[in-house]
Amino acid sequence: MVSRAIPAGLVLALLALLVLAPMAGLLHLSALPGYEPADLRFWESAYLRRVLYFSIWQALLSALLSVLPAILVARAFAMQPELPLRSLLLGLFALPLVVPAVVVVMAVVSVYGSDGWLPLGRSLYGINGILLAHVFFNLPLAVRLLLPLWQGIPQHHWLLGEQLGMNAWQRFRFIEWPMLRETLPGVMLLVFMLCLTSFAVVLTLGGGPRSTTLEVAIYQSLRFDFDPARAVMLALLQLGLCMLVAMLTLKLQRMPEVEIALSTPQRSRAKLSGAFNLLLILAATVYVGMPLLSLLIDALQGPILQTLSSPRLWQAFANTLFIGISAALLSVVAGWFLLQYSASLARQGRIRGARLIDLAGSVVYVIPPLVIATGMFVLLTPHVDVFDWVYPVVIVINALMGLPFVVRCLGPAVRQCHARYHRLCLSLDLQGWNRFRYIEWPLLRRPFGLAIALVAVLAMGDLGVIALFGSTQTATLPLMIYQQLGAYLVSQATVTALLLLLLCLTVFALLERGIGGKADVDN
Amino acid sequence: MYAVVPRIGAGLASLLLCFSLQAATPNLVVYTYDSFTSDWGPGPKVKAAFEATCSCTLELVGLSDGVAMLNRLKLEGDNSRADILLGIDTNLTAEARSSNLFDGHGLSLPSSALPDPWQDDLFLPYDFGYFAFVYNKEKLASPPTSLRQLVDDSAGPTLLIQDPRTSTPGLGLMLWMKKVYGDKAAEAWAKLSPRIVTVSKGWSEAYGLFLKGEADMVLSYTTSPAYHIIAEQDLRFAAARFDEGHYQQIEVAGMVRSSQHKELARRFLAFMISEDFQKIIPTTNWMYPVIGGQAVVPTEFDQLIDPAPALLLDETSVAEQRKRWVEEWLEVMSR
Repeated sequence: MVSRAIPAGLVLALLALLVLAPMAGLLHLSALPGYEPADLRFWESAYLRRVLYFSIWQALLSALLSVLPAILVARAFAMQPELPLRSLLLGLFALPLVVPAVVVVMAVVSVYGSDGWLPLGRSLYGINGILLAHVFFNLPLAVRLLLPLWQGIPQHHWLLGEQLGMNAWQRFRFIEWPMLRETLPGVMLLVFMLCLTSFAVVLTLGGGPRSTTLEVAIYQSLRFDFDPARAVMLALLQLGLCMLVAMLTLKLQRMPEVEIALSTPQRSRAKLSGAFNLLLILAATVYVGMPLLSLLIDALQGPILQTLSSPRLWQAFANTLFIGISAALLSVVAGWFLLQYSASLARQGRIRGARLIDLAGSVVYVIPPLVIATGMFVLLTPHVDVFDWVYPVVIVINALMGLPFVVRCLGPAVRQCHARYHRLCLSLDLQGWNRFRYIEWPLLRRPFGLAIALVAVLAMGDLGVIALFGSTQTATLPLMIYQQLGAYLVSQATVTALLLLLLCLTVFALLERGIGGKADVDN
Repeated sequence: MYAVVPRIGAGLASLLLCFSLQAATPNLVVYTYDSFTSDWGPGPKVKAAFEATCSCTLELVGLSDGVAMLNRLKLEGDNSRADILLGIDTNLTAEARSSNLFDGHGLSLPSSALPDPWQDDLFLPYDFGYFAFVYNKEKLASPPTSLRQLVDDSAGPTLLIQDPRTSTPGLGLMLWMKKVYGDKAAEAWAKLSPRIVTVSKGWSEAYGLFLKGEADMVLSYTTSPAYHIIAEQDLRFAAARFDEGHYQQIEVAGMVRSSQHKELARRFLAFMISEDFQKIIPTTNWMYPVIGGQAVVPTEFDQLIDPAPALLLDETSVAEQRKRWVEEWLEVMSR
């Protein structure tokens, strides 16, 4: 018990330090001469209220529109295990998450803009555009996160359902829903947070300052006004808001029942609804595929050789890979310790404690990287040359940002594994490495693979942190894309974006297969 | 994982190289924005040209933008490695001046190409440009000829602009409107607002959307068409000339007070306003050089509009009122 509390405690302490110390550093700044003194009048302004209202509204709407259809699509994928090209499609679904927002904006405009394939005209700009882009980002993510659930349903539940003559709705209600109920709130929360902190999409497709989110207000405070105290206050407001939403959603969540089958292969069933499922998969694929396809078409028309012959591009390629893999490993190790502790608390019936730990792991995402990074900079700069610290800082912050994904992918499985095998391990006196090696790894390698792969591609697509700390010498591919777009080099930028996508697709597939194991990979 | 080993090796090697270089020749550190240091920016050429004469190493550190540079320098204070800050514009110079982090340059422009004489002993300009609305001649036959016409014509062209809270051209347009409309700027924004398709975070998003055909005009620079003419041999784009004149952006550099290499830094600033540096600017930064002379500007620039009269608000009033003006803009645009 204690042995699990110590590493988890260390991770939690580190989390708190990483989040709170930079904020303290920033607050301290505002007390120094030459800086904007803390001005708290904005607190009561109509502007802030409007921003708050809009942030919540668009995030909630985006989350609902992403996750609810994702349930149907994930279910359809689960019911079609022998679908041709299934793993390719699922790989495709991991991509939107890594496309830098500015590229997504361009791709969405290629599809729905006035010269696009499905022109929406001016009505694209406003809530429509925001939702289109957010669903493009998050529906596939939610599908990936929800899909493993169906694999967790024991074969005999289905058999029992058949014997009892359940119809499709009854099967959903009594067999699938209990499983969904445990994971759905967490996925919803994650997508809500992703949309809440969305920045370039909201600002560009939102049509104007009517669509201002808290994240924009934070950026403005820290960059244009350089008012660190206000930035910290807004960041805390955002954090508080997410805690509130998190507590509401996690209240809906039940801890799992003990009967679990972690790797029962799924047989194709529900032949009657096969056509409907195929239609769903087709619709989702078209929706996700269209912007990606437009990007591919643009890139193939671009100056491919010229772009690819730049040595800096390959330097950025290597940097991207290095940052992605390092952040993913760090994030998964930290997440593993947290989840182990939370699972052991849950097993002992200390549900509240378990939830709190999950919560801590989840909400770090909404602390704006800009705030953490600037704060870290303030703390580090008197002592070290920050230029030598670009990689560690960027990796640590990205690992932090990846933690909620680890908690989502790995959490339910760790708890199930714990609930089922803890006593067995005790009776066999399996501990530490041996327990990990013989019990946990074989059962958990699939969610491990998904978690590492997701965090890696997420960190590879990061722009927020690297844009603040990176210089030309330490540029990654997303930063390079941004720089190219800033220098009229739109066609080069699409080629670079395609390269980033291919890199992410490869890394995702290799990590997921390499770690998750080949046999189980089609989920 | 395998990538790590060569990386560490390369890191050590470059560290050793740094030490050996530092022992032999001084290292001049210039903080600038990253588009300056990129392959296609002025950086590589400037570095080669300066190092050919200075027997030193010129280290260009690319940061995201002018605001980031200045914030960083303020945070670093006297510990900063920077000898020169290159790439803030006149909207930031007041703030930079009050930070007390800069030292006088003691230089003057040999033959200024700027519309107004340059009098600033802390900061020295290296390029300048004018904001303008750029359009596609094939799609928009008769562009507005004045800012007032653009604002008043409710059936006029649709626009893409940038947010003054996050972008330099966005701020430029806000000041341009202020300069032309004064206290009536809010009303003018209200008239313009229905035709603004979207307000983007930065220049790249708006320009990208414009190239995809999302609006008739985009807020950019008078020199933007030169890029299309020279780099793409594409003659379709032009900037609309406005009778009231065009708002200016002047980009400057300054010497950091805590620099250990002030003599060298001053030599760099002198080099910066010499022909060798200035002739690199037009086709890499796509701005006007600050010194006159035929050899400095490519002939294609003759096809660009004449933006006179040049408009500019003085740095103090911008520094004092920017916040209030942005709030006013936000209020109108959020209706």
